[in-house]
Amino acid sequence: MTTTMTPKDFATATPSWWCPGCGDYGVLSALKAALAELGKQPKDVAFVSGIGCSGKISGYLHSYAFHGVHGRALPVATAVKLANRDLTVIAAGGDGDGYAIGAGHFLHAVRRNPKMAYVVMDNQTYGLTKGQSSPTSQTGYITGTSPQGNPDAPINGLAVALAAGGTFLARGFSANPKHLVGLMKEAVEHDGFAIVEVMSPCVTYNKINTYAWFKQNVYYLDDGYDATDRVRAFEALTAEGKIPLGVIYREQRPTLETLTHLGATPIVDLRLDPQLRELVAIQDAYA
Amino acid sequence: MSAVESRGAAAAGSDCVIVNDIEIMFGGQAGDGSLTTGDLIAGVFKRMGLEVYTYKDFPSRIRGGHTNYVIRAGEHANYGTADFVDGLIAFDVEAVETHVHELRPGGFVVFDSSSETLPDGVKRDDITWYLVPIGKIAKEEIGLELVRNTVSLGVLARLIGMDPAIVRADVAKVYGRKGERVVDLNLRAIEAGETYVDQHFAEWPSGYGLQGRPDVDRLIMMGNDAIGYGALAAGCRFMAGYPITPATDVLEFMAKFLPRYGGVAIQAEDELAAINMVIGAAFTGVRSMTATSGPGQALMTEAIGLAGVLEIPIVVVECARTGPSTGMPTKTEQSNLNHLIFGGHGEIPKIVLAPGTVEDSFYLSAAAFDLAERYQCPVFVLTEQALCQSKATLPRLDLGRVSVDRGKLVTEPVVFGEYKRFAFTDDGVSPRVTPGLEGGMHLAAGSEHGEAGVITENPKNRARMMEKRMRKLESALAHVPPPLVHGDAKADVAIFGYGANRGPIVEAQRRLAAEGVPTRFLELRTLWPFPEEEVRAFVAGTRAVFVVENNYTGQLDRLVRYVVGPLERMHRVLKYDGRPFRPIEIVEPIRRAAPARGLAEV
Ligand SMILES: Cc1ncc(C[n+]2csc(CCOP(=O)(O)OP(=O)(O)O)c2C)c(N)n1
Ligand code: SF4
Ligand SMILES: [Mg+2]
Repeated sequence: MTTTMTPKDFATATPSWWCPGCGDYGVLSALKAALAELGKQPKDVAFVSGIGCSGKISGYLHSYAFHGVHGRALPVATAVKLANRDLTVIAAGGDGDGYAIGAGHFLHAVRRNPKMAYVVMDNQTYGLTKGQSSPTSQTGYITGTSPQGNPDAPINGLAVALAAGGTFLARGFSANPKHLVGLMKEAVEHDGFAIVEVMSPCVTYNKINTYAWFKQNVYYLDDGYDATDRVRAFEALTAEGKIPLGVIYREQRPTLETLTHLGATPIVDLRLDPQLRELVAIQDAYA
Repeated sequence: MSAVESRGAAAAGSDCVIVNDIEIMFGGQAGDGSLTTGDLIAGVFKRMGLEVYTYKDFPSRIRGGHTNYVIRAGEHANYGTADFVDGLIAFDVEAVETHVHELRPGGFVVFDSSSETLPDGVKRDDITWYLVPIGKIAKEEIGLELVRNTVSLGVLARLIGMDPAIVRADVAKVYGRKGERVVDLNLRAIEAGETYVDQHFAEWPSGYGLQGRPDVDRLIMMGNDAIGYGALAAGCRFMAGYPITPATDVLEFMAKFLPRYGGVAIQAEDELAAINMVIGAAFTGVRSMTATSGPGQALMTEAIGLAGVLEIPIVVVECARTGPSTGMPTKTEQSNLNHLIFGGHGEIPKIVLAPGTVEDSFYLSAAAFDLAERYQCPVFVLTEQALCQSKATLPRLDLGRVSVDRGKLVTEPVVFGEYKRFAFTDDGVSPRVTPGLEGGMHLAAGSEHGEAGVITENPKNRARMMEKRMRKLESALAHVPPPLVHGDAKADVAIFGYGANRGPIVEAQRRLAAEGVPTRFLELRTLWPFPEEEVRAFVAGTRAVFVVENNYTGQLDRLVRYVVGPLERMHRVLKYDGRPFRPIEIVEPIRRAAPARGLAEV
């Protein structure tokens, strides 16, 4: 069946909860457009989000959506993929969700490399809890819980992922939806764990990393950039100065599904029969 | 020269006493191979047609540290250790010092005298001491000190009359995988041990003798394997776990077998990941489980609440050990009951099952999956170190008794807009779809939601949603595994207990009955929803009630009291030293209370 899908097919009737101007709107519309352009059906999309303003996104994407507990989107999404490898699996969450409370899972999802996309909606603050510093906030960022300035150095999520064996690392900006749609499409198609970190400004609490600040502090990787060069990628990610946007690194490595020897039939479709002869025979080893 | 330095009073003079209940303890340093030998002995006892129970008491370290392995064999299936050890095989002085007081008068000790001498102080004179240079025999006669465990098996076999043909056949079977040379070495080791006894001690010197029976087709299995096997039979095809004693065996079992049935077992980075993975796989429609112990259970608690509010069927095996914190990781306890039932913020329906035998571990583990899917809630299988890491003989397991009832799982397309994932229903259970099904798209949110899944804080909806979810417990009540009554249902002494304590309680009952104190024992196999009706009915007409459990605060006792009210005649029988009850520890408090209340002539 080749029906043409439109972004509207991925819209829900639920009114948005986000502040006007929030960067998360751009992330949502880019996702919807990417899924439509890839011809995905809502029934085949499992969309798992974390907790935060960003985590609300699962309520606005027509799909099998899952809004779990803070920081645990990745283990849930990984298992959804293992349970039914035919699904298109996408996880999304904030910088706090992914790089603070969920940092452990982030590293291990990178190591496992399940085929799924992970969208980190980075606003360099904790939006939902009203503007505390997050793992990506700049040192010195002043908030209610850090009145003397955030003492911690910001985490570089993509560089960490590269070191941990990431196979697809991209960064976009929610104010450039066209570019973002391209990244999302590539991420969904990537045969492995694909991270798209999106600069998604919080207009209410983060008065430093604003749209204007981003416009001045980002640059787009050009055609001459070789995204398969690991060393170049590390340089691009860690260089002082402007923030690179685009696909920063990609490689092919066996997926979790391959390395756990999953069959072609999704686990969820296996027939369950307690009387299987081989099952009964297990007892012989104990006789 | 005689190595028999003193003969126990009971054994002296008598020839062979055929006993039909014997408990052998192997004691030494961890990692010295005594576990393999313990397993071997258990296998031989089984093939001699006896009922076997084993209990491992090992330190929480890999090499070194005192460890002991208890093997009990007899005509009755005793799911627990006896009051006393009959024979101790001690590989070092520490083993003697630690356990000599546990020996039955008339019992015996085999001490490896190769390198250590027994200090005078430890030598009880009411037991028989066999000083055998086990290590030296292994080294000098077989040329390999490693086989000293097998030499000790030869010694023991001769001392208590284990069938030599079966001993040899089992040694050949167990070491067969390691090649002919290893089998041969071990067979020679057996022979050397036997010969030493023949040359140095009189026939049937221990005064113990075991009489075999024809073996029937049975199994010998560890509780944790039975749990894994039950899950596999019930169609569990996804497991995620994080290694923790004493639950790791379940993950190992599933990691071995799941791939053969198309499933997958994942070793997660922590328990937070494990439980969230289980939830993810179950949300997708696969029967899923995890297994953990106290510390891991604590980490899983938040997500279990999520499974409750999302109405996702998951099975969580809790293999309880001593807490709090690290506690004693390899020792048993029942201090997690409160956590399973009441742990977590907010209120969700959950079911807590507790098997009392290895056999029941299989059937309840399998039943957990049907219950989880029928009531779309977390189901716990609660077991303890003393049961889940113990082996026992049991009849073959009947897979015909395992069902796969997936409850209100919808497999035909639904109409989007009409279908409501969290629809209000009479029994509280709503039709459940899984990703990929046409028309069933919805949001599964841990935030409170309406029937269609949309997040809402509407007070009327909130109240109705709470009622709907909690109603599932009432619906489940009539379908959860019922309690079992052991003993004399009309006796005026009542006992409550569950799990690993079933064995010692039943044994205590037998003894009390013989003393003229009949008792009735309600073994609770479902601890939540709490079987209030049965519990209330069970105390009616009793004059004394005993709640037997392995914890300090009387967690089960409080549940019982909540139902039956504050009865003056209720007694707690508690043990929290990390070791399972020996029957005498249950017999005595009941015996003490019985005459005082004029319950029976003792
Ligand atoms: C276990 C737990 N701890 C704390 C919270 C409170 N909390 C909710 S969202 C959030 C931070 C969210 O920050 P981020 O992930 O960056 O998302 P944002 O709101 O900025 O999009 C916190 C701390 C929670 N829900 N759960
Ligand atoms: S608080 Fe910030 S992140 Fe949250 S919705 Fe408003 S603008 Fe967006
Ligand atoms: Mg944030």
